[in-house]
Amino acid sequence: MNKTIIININSIVFHIEEDAYETLRSYMIEIKKHFGNTSESKEILEDIENRIAEMFSERIETGRKEVINLEDVQQVITQMGRVSDFEESEESAGESYQQSEKEEQPTDTHFGKKLMRDPDDKILGGVCSGLAHYFAMDPRWIRILLVLFVLIGGSGFLVYAVLWIVMPEATTRADKMAMRGEAPNLQNFKRSFDEEAKGFSDSLSGAGEQISRGARKAGTVLGGCLGLIGKLIAWLMLINTGLSILGLFIFYVFNLMNLFGLENPMFFPPLEVLTNDEALIALTFGFLAIIIPFLALFFLLVRILFKTDKMNNYAALTMFAVWIVSVIGVIYYCVYAAQDFREESKINVQKNISKQEVYYFTEKDVRILDANEKDSLKSKFNIQFDGQDFRKYLHGNIGIQFESLDSLAQPYIQYNYSAKGRTYNLAAERAGNILYEAVQEGNTILFPSHFILKNNPLERDQSVRSIVFLPVGSKVVLHREIEHKLRDISYYDCWVNYPDNHQQKYTEWVMTKTGLVCTKQAPVEKEQEENVEEVKATKEEIKQDSVIRIDGSNLTIEVKDKKVEINTKED
Amino acid sequence: MIAENTQIQMRKGILEYCILSIISRGEIYASDIISELKKAQLLVVEGTLYPLLTRLKNNGLLSYNWKESTSGPPRKYYQITDEGRQVLEQLDVTWRELVFAVETSLEGRN
Repeated sequence: MNKTIIININSIVFHIEEDAYETLRSYMIEIKKHFGNTSESKEILEDIENRIAEMFSERIETGRKEVINLEDVQQVITQMGRVSDFEESEESAGESYQQSEKEEQPTDTHFGKKLMRDPDDKILGGVCSGLAHYFAMDPRWIRILLVLFVLIGGSGFLVYAVLWIVMPEATTRADKMAMRGEAPNLQNFKRSFDEEAKGFSDSLSGAGEQISRGARKAGTVLGGCLGLIGKLIAWLMLINTGLSILGLFIFYVFNLMNLFGLENPMFFPPLEVLTNDEALIALTFGFLAIIIPFLALFFLLVRILFKTDKMNNYAALTMFAVWIVSVIGVIYYCVYAAQDFREESKINVQKNISKQEVYYFTEKDVRILDANEKDSLKSKFNIQFDGQDFRKYLHGNIGIQFESLDSLAQPYIQYNYSAKGRTYNLAAERAGNILYEAVQEGNTILFPSHFILKNNPLERDQSVRSIVFLPVGSKVVLHREIEHKLRDISYYDCWVNYPDNHQQKYTEWVMTKTGLVCTKQAPVEKEQEENVEEVKATKEEIKQDSVIRIDGSNLTIEVKDKKVEINTKED
Repeated sequence: MIAENTQIQMRKGILEYCILSIISRGEIYASDIISELKKAQLLVVEGTLYPLLTRLKNNGLLSYNWKESTSGPPRKYYQITDEGRQVLEQLDVTWRELVFAVETSLEGRN
């Protein structure tokens, strides 16, 4: 069973099998290329097409069938003759080129060829086929090269666009000749050369046929090798692109699931900036914007490798339009989201804390819910949590600083809540929605690990700064858990002073006029020890104002300049 | 090899002459011209014929008109023009001269 394609030749409809169609199409392209694009050649082509149509009609009638098959096409081609079989007099060649000489003088460039786009052989703009003519290669390889450039850094897009703009389209026959590098005088020479070659392949004598066949075989093998390498590259790119598409799809689906509440490890942080609905649309736009170029690439590769047809024009246009819309959508959401970060608002709240001898500061991890705690922070804030959105409501951008006060003053904590928004009012509202407060239990002050947002929990760069104002002289103990929230002071620098500090869970500090200072001295080094001993030595020397010397039985006591000697020996 | 080249050149020279002659007999269309040439043992593919016919037409030696056909698209039926007849006569003269030249040159060969 075979697929049938419906074609029409000069408005007469034929049903033709797929493989037959391919063969016919190549033949028609061959002929078109051979005869070029003058008005005369149009007539010739029309005649040929009519004849082909007639032959097809005859076959359908005599064969009493409905579809043209490969055999039919091959026989017709044999009867019409392949391009190599066409015998043309030199006159006709000369004539048609006199025509085109009048049209335009092709300027001499590299090999006498002009770099132009070929409108007869284009996928997008004919850039690659134009290049192929210039370098006398098959356009397929140029296309593969372009695809390669697109994948590696995307420079292919830019190069292609630039070339498209720079290269003029080869519309007139003279242009196409110039594109192929056919100058009139060269062409005549080429023609006679071609004719000789045709005569070569046309020969009816056995010897001639043998030799030509051999030459042809060698050519195809060489072409095959190059083709193989090219094919390999194309295949690799195809697999690469296919996997990328798959990966993107999975990413999209998982993020979609995220938005609908099905939690999973794959999530895209920037999306948290938007509300659920907005995020949905933005994600879709982003996904489309990225995947469509990949899809286009994929189809292009498939087309190159499997020689399938060009994608339906409408489908291609739709894809392009959707892509443009997606890109615009993505840009819109980026700008829109950024707008909501324009203004910043800071709200300050002061809360007193009771004076203590020593203040212990530690952190309470809000995420750990203690069933025994009736008075947990959660209930203090009286918020209802949905099981899954818990994470969204918690934010950790918290900083803790320490400032000094006069030693008799009342200690307090100043909370700075800040948030961003499109307008100042909106930002202020958001800042006001931040719930965060330290809890004092005796001499321990607990800072929650996260702050909670009331109402609208959109990510708007919310942050909290807690500044603890303590009177000078207050002793402070900082627990290890609070380490990451500390600003301006280095927990680590204090911590290294402790011997055996891997076990050390807290550090000790004291509030001075200039701020919190670590009370633990740095461990002394050997040099310092020596200094200490010297100091000790000098002290002793000074003390030598009064010396007691016991020398055998002599006892000498020297006090300043006065001496007393006692000889204990018995005379 | 070289013989083939010359053979082709010789064929080219007379092809137009033969085609003009065939058409001069009466109105005829491309496919039939091929058949006639086949009878004359002058084998030509259609792809050679069409450009030639078109060129002759463009040079004013031939004219054509369309005729509907039962089996497929309409056909071009070619006729020779007056100018064509004149050219044909001139070619007749040339041909006779050539024949004479060749036969004279061939005399005395084994």
